[in-house]
Amino acid sequence: MTNAVRLTSSPCLSVIMPVGSRHAQDIAALVGEYRAGLDTLGTPYEFIIVLDGPKPAIAASVQRLLGPIGSGGNVTVISLTRPFGEATALMAGFQRAQGETIVTLPAYHQVEGSEVAKLVLGLASSDLAIGRRWPRVGSRFEVLRRNAFHRMIASVTGQAFHDLGCGARAMKRRVLEEISLYGDQHRFLPVLANRQGFRVVEVDLRQSPRDRYDRGYPVRDYVHRVLDIFTVFFLVRFTKKPLRFFGMVGASTFVIGAVLVAWLAIDRLVFLHPLADRPALLLSSLLVVLGMQLFALGLLGELIIFTHARDIKDYQIEAVIRYPHEPSMETSVPATVAMAEEHERDAAHTHAI
Amino acid sequence: MSPDISIVVPLFNEEDSVRPMHATIVSAVEPLGVTFEIVFVDDGSTDKTVALVDEIARADPRVVLVKFRRNYGQTPAMAAGIAQASGEVIVTMDGDLQNDPADIGNLLQQIDAGYDIVVGWRHDRQDKLLSRKIPSRIANRLIAKVTGVPIRDNGCSLKAYRACLIKKIPLYSEMHRFIPAMASIAGPKIAEIKVRHHARRFGKSKYGLSRIYKVLLDLMVIKTVASFTARPLLWFSLLTVPMLAVATVAFGWTMAHFLSTGMLSLPIAGSGVIFLSSAIVLMASGALGELVYKLGDLREHEFSSLTGRPSAERLAVPRMTGPVSSTSVSPRP
Repeated sequence: MTNAVRLTSSPCLSVIMPVGSRHAQDIAALVGEYRAGLDTLGTPYEFIIVLDGPKPAIAASVQRLLGPIGSGGNVTVISLTRPFGEATALMAGFQRAQGETIVTLPAYHQVEGSEVAKLVLGLASSDLAIGRRWPRVGSRFEVLRRNAFHRMIASVTGQAFHDLGCGARAMKRRVLEEISLYGDQHRFLPVLANRQGFRVVEVDLRQSPRDRYDRGYPVRDYVHRVLDIFTVFFLVRFTKKPLRFFGMVGASTFVIGAVLVAWLAIDRLVFLHPLADRPALLLSSLLVVLGMQLFALGLLGELIIFTHARDIKDYQIEAVIRYPHEPSMETSVPATVAMAEEHERDAAHTHAI
Repeated sequence: MSPDISIVVPLFNEEDSVRPMHATIVSAVEPLGVTFEIVFVDDGSTDKTVALVDEIARADPRVVLVKFRRNYGQTPAMAAGIAQASGEVIVTMDGDLQNDPADIGNLLQQIDAGYDIVVGWRHDRQDKLLSRKIPSRIANRLIAKVTGVPIRDNGCSLKAYRACLIKKIPLYSEMHRFIPAMASIAGPKIAEIKVRHHARRFGKSKYGLSRIYKVLLDLMVIKTVASFTARPLLWFSLLTVPMLAVATVAFGWTMAHFLSTGMLSLPIAGSGVIFLSSAIVLMASGALGELVYKLGDLREHEFSSLTGRPSAERLAVPRMTGPVSSTSVSPRP
């Protein structure tokens, strides 16, 4: 099936739709909506549906799409053997994608299908355009929760985004080639892309009237989001300087503990209060020890960075421009080497550990 | 065919300096009779720097432009330039015309004399006294003291390195100020020579006082890392010594107290347990460190092989005339 797709003229747009546990009732209808929106662009595109885990019901309904629909769009369906998470599903889809522009779309109603074209147009001035559902409905609590999340992300990364949960994104191929995502990181693609020096813009998209999620999120989701913030915090701030972070926290813990110990010692020696029945001693020694442990962790981190520093490049070269030695050709084309750093992916993994 | 020397120049919004920079480098290096290339690294400039360098490169095939997608800072710019350079000797210098390319010949002469790293010393520095020179002097004393590499001017970008050495030195964070200190792991021969220093002609300095705090932290990191990389277990074991001592005292006191009065003191015994367990965890961390070092790609013997080379391998650079004050410094053990 994939071969059949490859044989046709290569599309300039690849649309990837990961289908996870949460998805619209009628995927085929949703795909139809998106296609209607994409058709207005007038560029050939392929549609890649990635089923994250075995989903026989959806697979059957999607199979109908595989037939000729007209409009020049190809549909590919990739089934993963077990649920790997949305980011992994995206990457699986990306591996099959041939377009120069990659569009990811959510498998449930978030934005109106007719708005998708706006995203692609947003790429004219950027490398990554992310959708922002606006104007947006939602209960007051939901708005509060959303704002809190994005404000925390903004304070950690220094980048203000408003709707990281929106699955509609358009990007140039290079973005995904340089950033490898896994787990739940798809939400943070804009943050990571910005860090790699890509230009990111937010595009306001009309929210789909069916984008209602009334059941509320399980506690597990909240915990995951908080951990996500933590991950991003480390990815962005301290991957290169572990000792700066661990050393700071460790040193302050150590100092508090040491002051407490000193006070206890003075109390014992000067005021002759016996030390043996003071639980504060436990607390202070715990703090001292904790401080040292944290510092040691920072040192270990520093050791990892130091011994791998030649693999981890903390910069991205956009181009090396070297004009050939022969000055005979007046209109010589610059030998521009676009650098796709393979090492960078490994580096990203190292960082996440 | 690789050139004899590569001159690496990081640029960040230096549209005024680029052309004079290129002209002075060419006029200074061409008479030396060596082949050379100039690697301009654009650190995400927002002005016309890139277009200008592109123009220069079109006319002069010896010019290479490495372009960053955004601003990353001076160290990554240096690192990228060094990685792209193909010369046997790499000269780094600032892109703001404060260094004088006429000094390159003197640097090369020292490399030719067998030194691995030659560091410039801006002996009559043209900067503000209070905000730049005095903090810099203190920082340099400190760096020299801590790293054991007595260089008087770490902040001077004008330096020359043997390419095979500098390409192996890990450069990250804001380490460009400490390259000689980092390189001292390899035990190179370092020379320091006086270089000219000009006042800024265009634009203003992009580096302020706020960096001192970072310098101090980086310094600490280098010191610890350089001293313990090869033997983390030993280093961590040293950390555990005071902990074990405290634990022993606490346990001893508890036993004595118990034997004399028949009462157990929970806080003191508990503290002993805490310190003992922490010592064990630290030892385990040291073992982990050994593993990390084993799996890493950094080897000490690799460094020693970089500087220990047959004396016949010399770069042919014609002798220069002129006042050269050279002080040979070797890292203290």
